[in-house]
Amino acid sequence: MIVKGMVIIMADVLLDVQHLTHFFKINKNITIKAVDDISFQIRKGEIFGLVGESGSGKSTAARCIMNVYRPVSGKVIYKGINTCDPVEFRQNKKLLQTSRQFIFQDSTSSLNGRMKVEDIIAEPMQIHHVRPKRGTLRSEAEFQLYYVGLDKSYLDKYPYELSGGMRQRVAIARALSMEPELLVADEPIAALDVSIQAQIINLFKHLQKEHGFSILFIAHDLAVVKYLCDRVGVMYHGRLVEVAPTEELFENPKHPYTKALLSAIPVPDPRLERVKGAVN
Amino acid sequence: MKELLEIKNLSVSFNTLKGEIQAVRDVSLSLHEGEVLAIVGESGCGKSVLCKSIMKLLHDNAYIKSGSIIVDGVDITHYGRKDMERLRGRVFSMVFQDPMTSLNPTIPIGEQIAEAVRVHNPKMKKAEVYERVISMMDLVGIPDAEDRYKLYPYSFSGGMRQRSVMAIALASEPKILLADEPTTSLDVTIQAQILDLLKSLQKKLLTATILVSHDLGVVSRVADRVAVMYAGKIVELGTVEDIFYEPRHPYTWGLMRSLPSLAKKGQELYTIPGMPPTLINPPKGDAFACRNEYALAIDYEEMPPMFKISDTHYAATWLLDERAPKIAPPVGSIR
Amino acid sequence: MRHKNIFLYYIQKFIVFVLSVLVLSVVVFYVSRLAPGDPLYSYYGDRVEKMSDSEREWAENQLGLNEPIHIQYIHWFANAIRGNFGISYKYKTDVIKIIGGRLPNTLILGGIGFVLIYVLALGLGILCTWYEDKWPDRLLCKIGTVTSCIPEFWLSIALIFLFSIKLKLLPSSGAYSIGNGENVIDRISHLTLPMTVVVVSHLWYYAYMIRNKLLEEVRTEYVLLAKSKGLSKKNILFKHCLRNIVPSYLSIMAISVPHILGGTYIVETVFSYPGIGTLSYESARYQDYNMLMALCILSGALVILCNIVVQIVNERIDPRMKKDEGLQVSEVIEIG
Repeated sequence: MIVKGMVIIMADVLLDVQHLTHFFKINKNITIKAVDDISFQIRKGEIFGLVGESGSGKSTAARCIMNVYRPVSGKVIYKGINTCDPVEFRQNKKLLQTSRQFIFQDSTSSLNGRMKVEDIIAEPMQIHHVRPKRGTLRSEAEFQLYYVGLDKSYLDKYPYELSGGMRQRVAIARALSMEPELLVADEPIAALDVSIQAQIINLFKHLQKEHGFSILFIAHDLAVVKYLCDRVGVMYHGRLVEVAPTEELFENPKHPYTKALLSAIPVPDPRLERVKGAVN
Repeated sequence: MKELLEIKNLSVSFNTLKGEIQAVRDVSLSLHEGEVLAIVGESGCGKSVLCKSIMKLLHDNAYIKSGSIIVDGVDITHYGRKDMERLRGRVFSMVFQDPMTSLNPTIPIGEQIAEAVRVHNPKMKKAEVYERVISMMDLVGIPDAEDRYKLYPYSFSGGMRQRSVMAIALASEPKILLADEPTTSLDVTIQAQILDLLKSLQKKLLTATILVSHDLGVVSRVADRVAVMYAGKIVELGTVEDIFYEPRHPYTWGLMRSLPSLAKKGQELYTIPGMPPTLINPPKGDAFACRNEYALAIDYEEMPPMFKISDTHYAATWLLDERAPKIAPPVGSIR
Repeated sequence: MRHKNIFLYYIQKFIVFVLSVLVLSVVVFYVSRLAPGDPLYSYYGDRVEKMSDSEREWAENQLGLNEPIHIQYIHWFANAIRGNFGISYKYKTDVIKIIGGRLPNTLILGGIGFVLIYVLALGLGILCTWYEDKWPDRLLCKIGTVTSCIPEFWLSIALIFLFSIKLKLLPSSGAYSIGNGENVIDRISHLTLPMTVVVVSHLWYYAYMIRNKLLEEVRTEYVLLAKSKGLSKKNILFKHCLRNIVPSYLSIMAISVPHILGGTYIVETVFSYPGIGTLSYESARYQDYNMLMALCILSGALVILCNIVVQIVNERIDPRMKKDEGLQVSEVIEIG
């Protein structure tokens, strides 16, 4: 029975990270363990949050998963493919590069400033020779743009003409043009204003519901993670100290670091804060 | 309570190639002794510009268009460079957003604090300056101050750097401290430490503080009074309780409702539609009108004045006019 | 300083210097052997053409030219260390003697000229920053743009025409009047015009660089903090900003040192000033390889030396530049 249960769970898993470890060698004497033996799974259609402070290794983990860095040890198994293995990666290159997409924090620098929005969105399709479903690349780009809430007048604009929120929408549209199954979003809303953040969070939520893809959502803002994610992993100094379903993590944090993190967030409620301040 | 700082109808503009940017428009504000006043708003609303214009730290293309700044009863609106140098550090001082860039990378931390001590006490003896620096470092919670005196900023963590910046800012015992997003670039746990430090120092030294932030959580943690800014204007002003439990301006409502920490899971997050206006040609009437679901016809025509709600609470929205329809606020019922 | 011993630190730098020069000498030697022209020429000149085959073989044997190239290199290097770079084909005397006769002239012209450039550029750059976008800054920038457009040779001729021919104030050529080599005033009068050209034509590049770097620095946040603690403008500019641009300025200076040796070529030619610049040009033209190799190693060693000195100075100013001074916090943050 147990074995059978395992099988069902395994079939459900989209991404399986096993003992992932990555070091940075600064010089002869100093090596930084950026990611230290972390294991977690992301199921199909799940939003998995990865939280931690700067330097905790969450971005490095994301980059290892997306084959930006080659991990020192450990495995990343995506749909049964070990992406860390160069041979397996090469054999499944197209699948891996189209069905996994990356969204960065700083859309000012992650979008090429000399390309029009249309070309930015259409580029992945051109690279992978995907035939646009809606006829031309332009109409495909227009559709994707419409999908993230921008009209076609934006097709001929350059990134610098857009505001931060719009640029992030374009980055999302570009990622979605390949109809990914896994979206890795590295602090996608950290650089945005509160009211714009809300728009992008809603967009993520809405798109996920519609498409059913999985999201690895990296953030330092716990309130956002609490609102958006199904399960959360907490990273601290390169280690994954706690993984739990969101409600459980927020109601009953087990690891002392998680507790410290939760109590450190200032809540927009002055009376509550005053009580907290008195306790401290 | 004495008014340390009074800003009257201040307008600050920038000259750019695209035209005049009206970053601060007709702002009136006062700061009392020993209080923490928070200025809240989104990026580009003019909160930072307002702060920097008080200390005249803005670039040459910025100018005060009208209004006045009165510090301790003295009008400093037209003070020149030399006069400002005398006031900076001693009367007011500032803490900036990014401690990574706000310290000079090639001068040891202790030296940078010592500089701030020496500026206004040029006759102080070396040993006295050193002692004062060490006591400042102790005050802001930098452990092993004597060992760290000679260290350069790069060997400090972000939190330690921000503590150093605060030591620099407080070295000449200013009456007013302006903190421009002092914790935005820090981690949550470090942010909590710095906020607690800010609060405890403020209680100890009785420094009146202006805290600029976009984070309502931070504001509720340290502020006594809050000013909400939108498109270069103050739209609502009141005590923290007024603003958080009884907000009256639709923009404040929008801000509160779009916070994920106040939202229920599974519910769609509230979003303020549209974007903030550009300040090159700010719209006639209420700048928030086109994003405001409660907007009245008059909002598009005429700027609302500051309506008084109570002795401490003011808001600039026509909804408070007696002729306006009564609207039940969508937030603030959590008393 | 993390080095336990300051002595060890300098030894380390010295070893780096020696190794770099060694590598340079290998490259210079091999390249010159690969270059067109028969190395025999550099010793026997035109006589090579009149040689019989046996004579030729004897000559080659004598010079070790039929030995493998690495053995040749060792021979050459052993001689070079003792200051024997061979005989100049063009001047038919010891290379070192020729260079020794010319070097002081160039060092005086180029050396003093470039020290003047660096100092004036620093002054002008600071002046422009102080009066950013006010009339002194604008005026200086305009003057700079115009003068840096004037070609060196044209400026030289114009100055000769004005001061030597029309006004008859200053001599138009040479390093000193014949038989008057020890007279300092005579030397200075000969130096004035070439020096003016060297300074005027190079000054603005460095002045602009200083100005731009300083303006960048003035806009950083630490300047805001320094201002907000009440420091005066003068204090901020000289104590804070200048300190931070000096490392990159010094590096640029170190790289441009070869100008001192070779860059004054045009000026030396127009003013018939006997210096290294004309010498290197001629030795390349007449395939005077012994001379060329010596000059290459000389200027190369000078550049390497300057770079190492600058590195030492920079490490003093900005501790972050020390490679092994532990880990830089900013790097840790990047890893995120």
